[in-house]
Amino acid sequence: MSCHGAALQEKPSNDKMKILLMGNPNVGKSVVFSKLTGVHVDSSNYAGTTVDYTVGDINFGSKQGVLIDVPGTYSLEATNEAEKVAVSLLEEGADAVICVLDATHLERNLGLAFELKEYPIPVVYCLNLMDVAERHGIKIDAEKLSEELGSPVIPTIAIKNKGLRELMEMVVKLSKEEKDPEPRLDEQERWERIQEIVSRVQTKIDKKELTFIEKLEDWTVQPWPGIPIALLVLIASLGVVVGGGKALRAVVLLPLVKQVIVPFLTKIVSLIVPAGILRNVLVGEFGILVIGIEWPFALILPYVFLFYVVFSFLEDSGYLPRIGVLADGVLRRIGIQGGNIIPMMLGYGCAVPAILGTRAASTYKERIMVASLVSFAIPCASQSGAFFALLGDRSIFALIFVYLLSILAILAVGIVLNKIVPGRSQPLLLEVPNLLLPDKDAYKKKLKLRMKHFMMDAEGAMFFGIIIAAIIAETGVLNEFSKLLGPFVEGWLGLPREASLSLLLGIIRRELAVLPLLEMNLNTLQLTVGAIVALFYLPCLSVFGVLTKEFSLKTALFIGAITIVSAFFFGGLFNQIGSLIIGVIG
Amino acid sequence: MPLAHGEKLSTYRIEKLPNSHLLKVLGFRKGTQFTIQSKQPFKGPIVVKVGNRSIAIDYDIANEILVEEVTHN
Repeated sequence: MSCHGAALQEKPSNDKMKILLMGNPNVGKSVVFSKLTGVHVDSSNYAGTTVDYTVGDINFGSKQGVLIDVPGTYSLEATNEAEKVAVSLLEEGADAVICVLDATHLERNLGLAFELKEYPIPVVYCLNLMDVAERHGIKIDAEKLSEELGSPVIPTIAIKNKGLRELMEMVVKLSKEEKDPEPRLDEQERWERIQEIVSRVQTKIDKKELTFIEKLEDWTVQPWPGIPIALLVLIASLGVVVGGGKALRAVVLLPLVKQVIVPFLTKIVSLIVPAGILRNVLVGEFGILVIGIEWPFALILPYVFLFYVVFSFLEDSGYLPRIGVLADGVLRRIGIQGGNIIPMMLGYGCAVPAILGTRAASTYKERIMVASLVSFAIPCASQSGAFFALLGDRSIFALIFVYLLSILAILAVGIVLNKIVPGRSQPLLLEVPNLLLPDKDAYKKKLKLRMKHFMMDAEGAMFFGIIIAAIIAETGVLNEFSKLLGPFVEGWLGLPREASLSLLLGIIRRELAVLPLLEMNLNTLQLTVGAIVALFYLPCLSVFGVLTKEFSLKTALFIGAITIVSAFFFGGLFNQIGSLIIGVIG
Repeated sequence: MPLAHGEKLSTYRIEKLPNSHLLKVLGFRKGTQFTIQSKQPFKGPIVVKVGNRSIAIDYDIANEILVEEVTHN
């Protein structure tokens, strides 16, 4: 993620517009954003805050400019970080503001609409979700509303591209005009004025019959059948990621890598580089060009990609906050509110965005707790990929056992942290968004951005780890390490000496603690021990980096030390007990 | 009566509520009417329906919102 922005700091030139896109949360703002912007989209952090926002380029006729997707807010009173950022962006100035209004809930949306009138920037109101409003029996007279607000109101159905051309025409027209700020109304006055306007422009017919979506919306916030539905969704998601990943790997990626790419590279290197250490480092059994291509692209990438495919879909459909509502009762027991389940689920993809995602939590206690839980006990998609590769074919029970252990560890660590971390968590108070089919463009843009950040954050570190692995393994340095760590690895963990390599590499990336074991012909007990060690290990160097950045070096070192010690402790404990049981039975 | 003690599908009107900015901007004021959509086990949140929107309210906050019953399910 780039810093608060090069794209923004530069004063827009005379014909380059700067447009702010604002609105309440959950009004379809990001869909409007993705429809209006081109291919150059990136997310940035607003300097000095924990708030991210997205910037994209716009081209409309001969006009060019940038569109800034301001974080969704209910008001501009700067009572939280998102509102502070929204106010700062308005104060920096812009050529126009597009304010997205939710036609299904006009009254609440008009609060922000009124506050925007106090700024000297022309506003165009985008009355979105007109189709949903109609389904709900709501009719709004856009012309009348425009008269009341003193600014143009354009009705839109962003997801179907309806009204967006008119919206942009109006934005271009207004961006040339000056606008005088209007005096501030006090709260009571504003509220009365809003109710008056709504009664004039909106007509509503009560309808008794619920559509299927409305029924589903209702079911998914009830304990019954909401909790079984949530479990089904999670199982189906896991099925897509695991099954799809496995198929993709076996049918396409592994044959491609093992039979085409690697032999090709080996052949070329053999022609150029004479036999010896250098050739081994490049194309030996652990060679950079062999493992460096096979592990990231054939073993890890398919799982990470499919994880984001599924997660982004659930996120854009408005389903995730519902899981937060259902989980709140249980998560409160470990001291955090239900909404935190979303960064935790994201942790099953990658710990880095999950830890960044804790910024949405409003108290320090929640942030540090979720970040620790993610680092400690939630396997990321790369690591899950490695687990499936390691245990999937050998013992499905060992695989299930490792995941049950992960859930137990979350609860246990949560209970302990709740006792030792001071402070309290912010109580849950949120609007549950409507369920909808995600918009294709918004979804594709999000997926692209996520994969880009994964490539930059994770693949780089992994390749670096593999280079070190290749050098250590192929130059004989590994033997020295093995001698040093050998007694511990063999005696306590019951793994062969060469597994020391896994433990060293695991510090760089967690799945690397698992992958070398694939080549060692281990029994099921040994594989499970390896998986347990990897489960609790610090995820990777990137996570160490992000913990340092978001909290402090001390916190990162503390989490790092605790995770490594418990990884060896529990892995070894499992080996000792397992060996004992096998000894008794055998 | 505190909202936390309300029953599913019954409709209530707010008599008194804590001074919270977020409650206000979510549309909760004195006199606001809503229906309880769901209650969760383990003192989980109360989900209420205001107009077309569902809002989830933490159990402890729901305890501080005093309501009057309008219609019983």
